[in-house]
Amino acid sequence: MSGPGSVAIPHERRLIALRSLSPLFFVLALLICGPTPAFGVEVVANRSVPDVVLKRSTAWAVFSMRLRTWSDGSPTTVFVLGDGNPIHSEFSKTILDTFPYQLRRAWDRLVFSGTGQAPLEVGSITEMRDRIRSTPGSIGYLPPALVDKDMRTVKVE
Amino acid sequence: MNMHYRWSWVMAFPLLFMTVDGRAEIDWSNPLGKLDLKLPDNVQIHGFASQAYILTNNNNFFGYSKNMGSLDFTEIGLNGSWRPRPNLQTSMQVVYRRAGLTDDSYARIDFGFLDYSFLSDAEHLVGVRLGRVVNPYGLYNDTRDMPFTRPSIFLPQSIYFDINRNTALSGDGIQLYGEHRTDYGDFLLQFNGMESRANDPAWKPVLFARSVEGQLSWVGRLMYEWQGGRVRLGVTSADLNVGFQPRQVDYKAKSNLSFAPVLFSFQYNAEDWSLTSEYAIRYSEVDSLGQKVNFAGESYYVQGTYRFTTELEAFLRYDVYYGDRNDRNGKKLQASGLGSAQEAFAKDIAVGLRWDLTQSIMLRTEYHYVDGAGWLYVGENKDGLSKYWNMFAASISFRF
Repeated sequence: MSGPGSVAIPHERRLIALRSLSPLFFVLALLICGPTPAFGVEVVANRSVPDVVLKRSTAWAVFSMRLRTWSDGSPTTVFVLGDGNPIHSEFSKTILDTFPYQLRRAWDRLVFSGTGQAPLEVGSITEMRDRIRSTPGSIGYLPPALVDKDMRTVKVE
Repeated sequence: MNMHYRWSWVMAFPLLFMTVDGRAEIDWSNPLGKLDLKLPDNVQIHGFASQAYILTNNNNFFGYSKNMGSLDFTEIGLNGSWRPRPNLQTSMQVVYRRAGLTDDSYARIDFGFLDYSFLSDAEHLVGVRLGRVVNPYGLYNDTRDMPFTRPSIFLPQSIYFDINRNTALSGDGIQLYGEHRTDYGDFLLQFNGMESRANDPAWKPVLFARSVEGQLSWVGRLMYEWQGGRVRLGVTSADLNVGFQPRQVDYKAKSNLSFAPVLFSFQYNAEDWSLTSEYAIRYSEVDSLGQKVNFAGESYYVQGTYRFTTELEAFLRYDVYYGDRNDRNGKKLQASGLGSAQEAFAKDIAVGLRWDLTQSIMLRTEYHYVDGAGWLYVGENKDGLSKYWNMFAASISFRF
C-alpha cells in the first residue's frame, strides 16, 4: 500500500499520531483509575460444576472455604492467585465485596484452628485457566480474555 | 506428660497417608521459597516459625528481658490436615514454644481432632469435633499460636493471658458447631465440653499448689459476621475449671479454681483500617482450705490498625486489666499480704509496626508503656514487681 516515496494516507497518519501519544494516555488512564487499574474479572468453574448462578453470600462461603460442596453434593476445589496479585485484589473487591487481607484472615482462621483448609494457590492466570479446565468441581476467576468454552462462567449476584 | 500424647492417634491417619503417597520434591535452588510438596489436593501441610527480641526495664516478661534484653520467645509450628471427604477432616498442630519461665519449652499438640459435619448446604453447616479441640474464645484465641494472625507480637494480655495459654487454647473433649448463612450475615455457634489442659507452669505458684490437674470445663461462643467479616460481633462464655492440691500437706480435700468469663467482641474492617475492641468480665471462684473466695475481674482493650500499603501497617492499642473490680488500685491486695498493689491492675499503651516483606516473611516491632504488673508472672520477677515499666519488642516470622 505504501510503496517507496508514497505519502501515508490520512487515517494512517492519525494512527501514528495516536501511537506517539499512547504513553500520555497510559499515564492519564492510571491517574483516572487510581492505583489499581481495572482489568475486569469473571468467576469461572470447571464444566462439571452444576451451579451457574451463586448468591454473593454463597460465593463468599465457597471462596472463604466454609462451603465445601456444590448443590449436588460434589466437593468444591478453590483456586486463587497470590495475595498481592492485582487480579486477586480486583476479584476480592468487585465480586466478593471484601479485601484480600480479609480472605487471608478467613483462611488462616480455618487452617490454624484445624477447622478447615486453605484454597489452592496458583502462580499465574494461565495456570489458573489450565487447572480449572482439568479439575472437576473447581472454581476460580480469570480476566475475560482468558475465558473460553472449555469452562463455565459463574454469575455472582 | 501423657496428656500431650493422648490424642496423637487422631493424626496418625494423614501421616500414614503421606508416607505412602507423598513424594517430597524440594526445589533446592530455592528451598525456603516454596516447598513443592507433591501432596494430594486434600492433604495440606502448613507451618510457621517466629523469633522475638524483647527488651524491658523494671520488670521481666517472657524471660530475663531487663538490661540486655532476651531472645527467649520462640514459636515453631507444624500444621497438617487431611479432608478425605467434604464432610470429614482430621487436623493437628504441633507447636514448640519458648517464652521464658512462663512456658516449659517443649513440643506439644495444641490441637488434634476429627471433624465430621452432619449437614452442609449453602445456608447451613452442623457438625462435631472430637479430640483435643480449640476453645472458641473471643477474636484471637483460636489461632493464637500463629504469629501472622495476631494483631501485634503480643496479644492484648488483659484478655489473652499468655501465662496460661495452654489452658486457654484447647482442651480434650468434644465440640459441637453450627453455622447459618443469610443475606444479612453469617451466624457461627460453637460449644466445647472438655477436660482443661491446666499444664502451664504458672498455675502452681499462682494457686499456691503442689499439683494441678485438668477438670471438666465448657466454652461457648456465638459470632455474627457481616459482609465477609467487615463487621464481626461475638459473645463468649465459659467455665474453665482447674483442680489442685494446696501446698499445705495436711489438707487432703481437693481444691478448685473456677474461671467463668463473659466476653464481648467487636471488629470493623475497612480497606485501610480496622477498629477492634473486646470487653470481658471475669468471675472467679477459688474453693480451697475449707473456704470459698469469689471475685470478679474486668478487662478491655481498644485497638486501631491502619494499613499504609498492603505490606505495611501500624497499630495503636490501649489495654486495661483489673484483677478484682472491687480493688482497682490494689489497696486490698496489698493489705491482705498476698501481693503488692500494682499486681491488681495493668494499663498498657502499645504502638507498633508490621511489615510483610513477602507473603511468607513478616517483620514486627512494638513499644509498650505499662502502668501496673497485673498480668506479669511472679516467677520471673522474684525481686518484686514494679508499677511502671516499658517494653520494646521486635520479631521476625516465617510461614508456609
